[in-house]
Amino acid sequence: MKTITRNASWLVLVAGLIAVAPAHAQKQTPPEGGPAKAFAVPANETYTLGNGMKVTLVPYGIIPKVTVSAAIDAGSVNEGSDHVGVSGLTADLMKEGTQSLTSEQLADATAKMGSTLDVAANADQTIAQLDVLSEFGPQAVKLLADVLQHPRLPESELERLKNDALRQIAVRSSRPQTIAQMKFRKILYGDHPYGTVLPTEADIKKIALQDVKNYFDGNFGAQRTHLYVAGKFDVAAVKKAIAESFNGWGKGAPRVEKLASPKAQRVLDVTDRPGAPQSTLVVGLPVPPPTSPDAIPLGVTNALLGGSFNSRITANIREQKGYTYSPRSEISRRYHDAYWAESADVTTQYTGASLKEIFGEIERLKSEAPPATELKGIQNYISGLFIIQNSSRGALISQLQYVDFQGLGENYLKTYVAKVNAVTPADVQKMTGQYIKPDEMTIVVVGDKSKITDQLTPYQKGN
Amino acid sequence: MQGVGKGRVRRLVLMLATVFCGLSAVAEPSSDQFHVPVDYYKLPNGLRVVLSQDHTAPTVCVGVYYRIGFRIEPRDRTGFAHLFEHMMFQGSRNLGKMEFIKLVQANGGILNGSTRFDFTNYFEVVPSNKLETVLWAEADRMSGLAVNEENLKNQQGVVGNEVKVNVLNAPYGGFPWIDLPMAANSNWYNAHNFYGDLTDIEAAKLEEVKKFFDTYYAPNNAVLTIVGDFETADAKKLVEKYFGGIKSSQLPAVPDLTEPKQEKEKIVTKQDPLAPRPALAVGYHMPDRNTAEYYAMGLIEQMLIEGDDALMRKELVLKRGLTDSVDGGINLLGNMFNYQGPMLMAAEVRYDPTTKPETILEAMDTAIEPLRTKLVDPQMLDRARVKLRSSLYDTMGQFGGFGLMDLLASFALFDDDPARVNTLVGQFDKVTPELIQKTAQEYLRPGNRTVIELQPAPKAASSGAPAKNQ
Repeated sequence: MKTITRNASWLVLVAGLIAVAPAHAQKQTPPEGGPAKAFAVPANETYTLGNGMKVTLVPYGIIPKVTVSAAIDAGSVNEGSDHVGVSGLTADLMKEGTQSLTSEQLADATAKMGSTLDVAANADQTIAQLDVLSEFGPQAVKLLADVLQHPRLPESELERLKNDALRQIAVRSSRPQTIAQMKFRKILYGDHPYGTVLPTEADIKKIALQDVKNYFDGNFGAQRTHLYVAGKFDVAAVKKAIAESFNGWGKGAPRVEKLASPKAQRVLDVTDRPGAPQSTLVVGLPVPPPTSPDAIPLGVTNALLGGSFNSRITANIREQKGYTYSPRSEISRRYHDAYWAESADVTTQYTGASLKEIFGEIERLKSEAPPATELKGIQNYISGLFIIQNSSRGALISQLQYVDFQGLGENYLKTYVAKVNAVTPADVQKMTGQYIKPDEMTIVVVGDKSKITDQLTPYQKGN
Repeated sequence: MQGVGKGRVRRLVLMLATVFCGLSAVAEPSSDQFHVPVDYYKLPNGLRVVLSQDHTAPTVCVGVYYRIGFRIEPRDRTGFAHLFEHMMFQGSRNLGKMEFIKLVQANGGILNGSTRFDFTNYFEVVPSNKLETVLWAEADRMSGLAVNEENLKNQQGVVGNEVKVNVLNAPYGGFPWIDLPMAANSNWYNAHNFYGDLTDIEAAKLEEVKKFFDTYYAPNNAVLTIVGDFETADAKKLVEKYFGGIKSSQLPAVPDLTEPKQEKEKIVTKQDPLAPRPALAVGYHMPDRNTAEYYAMGLIEQMLIEGDDALMRKELVLKRGLTDSVDGGINLLGNMFNYQGPMLMAAEVRYDPTTKPETILEAMDTAIEPLRTKLVDPQMLDRARVKLRSSLYDTMGQFGGFGLMDLLASFALFDDDPARVNTLVGQFDKVTPELIQKTAQEYLRPGNRTVIELQPAPKAASSGAPAKNQ
């Protein structure tokens, strides 16, 4: 199943499209279908507990399952430079039992509800969640409350989890795509925590249990947590369980902002991978954050340029040239921070040619506004995608959580589609010229140096 | 488009159903007996049609499944079924290159296709008012391909790059999702490299593409499934209008796909110069689909591999710290329902060079052995049933109706009975502790398994070639 969804989700996340080309005279025109049905984002109820914890409830759908998900503002950004990796290790240790449940008892308890316990840290947050059969909604709330407030954080499991972390780091950093990502982030963000994709071996080895406890105590608490419950569930019973199990949680330390100042600069960084049949490319630069008024027009521009199957860059280097299988551009976001990047694994001999086409498509969009029909196709696509992004409990939580975390306001989702559709061809041209500037892009390449060095010579410096 | 599979074995979403029969303390019997509406019929040209309404969101999911998977592709053309799938996006009678994709996306939809053991599928999720547009487009490409040499050359490049990114330039590329079927099976249809040798992919000819289409892409070899927000009478009219006139074809006989019973354990080694850590995978031949033992294996898989309480996780991860996770499942390229032929249940771990592969196997056996030697703990069996039901519902809710569409299409394609989706519960409910033990004794025999030991190797020593027998 995942094999299907993994790639299919690429199509969901990515946007895009060129409008339907006029049919040839002898060809049939596709039927238009009926009038569009109204769509509104499913209603939710949001409230705040006395200790500052926020709660959002979204009754949705007919499938008898419910997701209980807590987003805590505690991520690698909060680690401190002496404790890189502690956020991930803390998340791992939180799955090893609570003060009243051993690791094995906790495992059996989640399985009994038809779930696994997921706890994972990203750059800005830790997400802890259970996804259970509907009848277990209140119990899931209570169990998650126990994990968040009374984790056992057992010393006995620390060495095992550190060794697991070392193995995972070794495995992940053997992938050329991860290597490219690590290089790209480091060049953009330098010593800011966003510049670190994976901790080093030395980082992991020096973490002690006290570091985990300090990190947990300093960053976990009610006022930094937003609990989401979505799916089919007994609202009154879940509310009661939330009140009973979370009202007593301490506020914890307030969140500390640590904004990044990523650099836009032409750097060509090449990592040698002898014998590699492909070059792994990441090409990009910082762009305005999600809070910017330009964020939505820029998102539309990205969808048209490289962010979908049928976008210009993909149509060029995949469907015309056959240089690559899965190229994509994206706007990658962290707290009040974003960058644009095109990523692709291209046949070694076409490394330079691929860069030429990527930059060529950017220049073309900068020099000429896209046809209105092409843009309309993109806008329709994003509008349709928006329905899918708000039509499952997991997707709904992701959307709401993104809006809450970035502080975009409750009107954001209500006005999103209208704003997408208000973008003009001139706006797209302007966004491209203003923000997607090849001369200021970092170019990271992981490939066979002996075969690509000459091809890359023209890209050493921006013009 | 999307290929036949990717990298690391995913935690497969298991889509089985079962009633929870409440023996455990926490669980209460569910009041939800979730029932899927199923409307199933056939057109005179043989096209099977499945309709399932769900008005929760204003979207529809449309899937067209053809009964041609990579198992039975031509012998000298490994990877051809998958290459062909790409060609179905390159042009049809009324839609030129890229126009199918443009049409779906400009109407607010998403689309993809995939090639699996026993089918190739094409699907879209669109706003529900665009159902007619998508049915027209799928009927158009069922009616005939319009592709040329340039399209084929382009897609040979794309598919070649797909194999490079997912296998040749990837650590653990092809492990174990390609390696295991190749090593465990002896019948060529089940045992060849279905992603394809690059030379075979590059050798494909345009006339072979046309012949493949003429042979397998016909309404009497296909199922059309629509799930979501539509009215049944309207949908039936549209299906008749666009698909009713497509001609059926004479289908070739299905070759013999059976595998001989495996009596002796197979151990195979693979050198992977790109992998930083050793890895090990085991694959057990499954009981025949839809037998009592098959359902028992569904529950065994839940107990051994799925969820926080899985026996292998408890033994290898929590107790012995040999690895950080045990992944796997029945049918690494799908689930235990969407295939029709010999299949494996697999488990896979990455571990440290200080550990011997024999230790990993011995720990796996420690987790497995109690299932073979004594009756299963009723509480553990209960948890397995709950996990099954939970993952079944996840599948049904997956991705704009895709998961439910896939189940219904598979049951129509392989069993001529999509309503089976509502009977799975009862089948799993019938599984007794005695049947679990009997099934484990026969199917979790060491003689019924294939082991792949992957070892990191010096860069110069090897390429990412498929595993070789020891």
